[in-house]
Amino acid sequence: MHGRKAYELVKELASGEKGHPKIFNTELFERVIEECNEHHNALQSLIRIMQDEGLEVQTARNADRYGALIHHLSLIRNKRCLMAYVYNRAEIIRDLAWKVGLLHELPSGIQEKFSDSEEQYFIDHSKSLKLYMSQLSLDVNVDIVPPKDPYIKVRVLEDLGSGIILSDKSANFALHSMHFLKRTDAEQYIARGLMEELTS
Amino acid sequence: MASGAGERSTEQIDDYETLISTTDVELLKGAWRNEKAAPEILPFEEALVKRAKEQIQLMEETVDDFAESGHDPLIASLYQMDLDRAQYLLRSYLRVRLQKIEKFMFYIWKRDTYRNRLSIEEEKFTERCIRDIGKHLEETVLSKLPENYQSVLKQSVISEEDDMVPEPQLDTFVVAKCEKATRPLYLDGSRQSAGFDSRDDHFQMVPGDLCILRYRPFQEELMSGNISLV
Repeated sequence: MHGRKAYELVKELASGEKGHPKIFNTELFERVIEECNEHHNALQSLIRIMQDEGLEVQTARNADRYGALIHHLSLIRNKRCLMAYVYNRAEIIRDLAWKVGLLHELPSGIQEKFSDSEEQYFIDHSKSLKLYMSQLSLDVNVDIVPPKDPYIKVRVLEDLGSGIILSDKSANFALHSMHFLKRTDAEQYIARGLMEELTS
Repeated sequence: MASGAGERSTEQIDDYETLISTTDVELLKGAWRNEKAAPEILPFEEALVKRAKEQIQLMEETVDDFAESGHDPLIASLYQMDLDRAQYLLRSYLRVRLQKIEKFMFYIWKRDTYRNRLSIEEEKFTERCIRDIGKHLEETVLSKLPENYQSVLKQSVISEEDDMVPEPQLDTFVVAKCEKATRPLYLDGSRQSAGFDSRDDHFQMVPGDLCILRYRPFQEELMSGNISLV
């Protein structure tokens, strides 16, 4: 049926949990692309038949023209679905770039969910964000929530050692240790899941 | 204006209120609120952002001085908190704008009115965004489609307009607060003119009024500062 596969593709996107993309469905995606080309071939052969019969494609009102139109519209629909699939995933990727843009690549845990091109897009977009911030000499990806207190209490979730020097001090950030840090210093680690904020 | 004995004190209060409402922090707060509530990108407050950045820098120096001189830590932490809030405001303002750009980059880019609302840095950012997503879409989808269907902006070559571009929903409803008394307004945004005198659906807002309005007809009122968004 026309457009069924593309519909499945978009449905998969919509049924996923928000912000948690599934693995890029290469198989279904390629199938839809194939379908597009099939439509295109059918469309062109219909146009060829009409031209052989000496009919004007734009003005003819026979079965072949409407057949061609259906193929054209199916193709457009498939294109829109494909684009929606990629575009909405790109939105998730941009979101990630905001959150973990300091890294130069996607966190290893979720890397496999994205296609190569998507990975490249993440890198490119992170660069764009970084460029903007360096031009302004202001980090816009910290301070995501309105600050209540300049200092927050955090617990370290992954052994970070003592290599990290924060703006006002350095400390040994061993696994499970708790610290009282400046919010702006801690936020980037919280975003990457290396620390968690403790709320009393 | 009140008369007699009360005059002096109301004047003072008025002065105080205008003073408070025109500090840069308040102005930035207003710009930030408008930007957050408006569905489209608003003109960049270049001068204001510049001043805010300078003031933040000044405040950072003050806080550093306090820390060094071993001043009362409580005072220092109060300054720090104030500083953090100002920084949040500025960052959030810029962030909201960037997120709008990310969402509507093609739409913004092809219209001069919108493009002129961007700062130089934002313009560069938009350009890069379009290039990056264009490359990504090209690689993943478009290059694999038949030739006539490869445009990012159009469904196919026979589309006359760009019909693949996400646009901001301007007909959404916003909560507007009146700042300056407005001329009579019509709900559909049409101008007051002789022909409209017979219509009775106009209304006038006085400062402090809150209204829920459709965004599109009241864009101009927002731009001229007669209303602000909440």
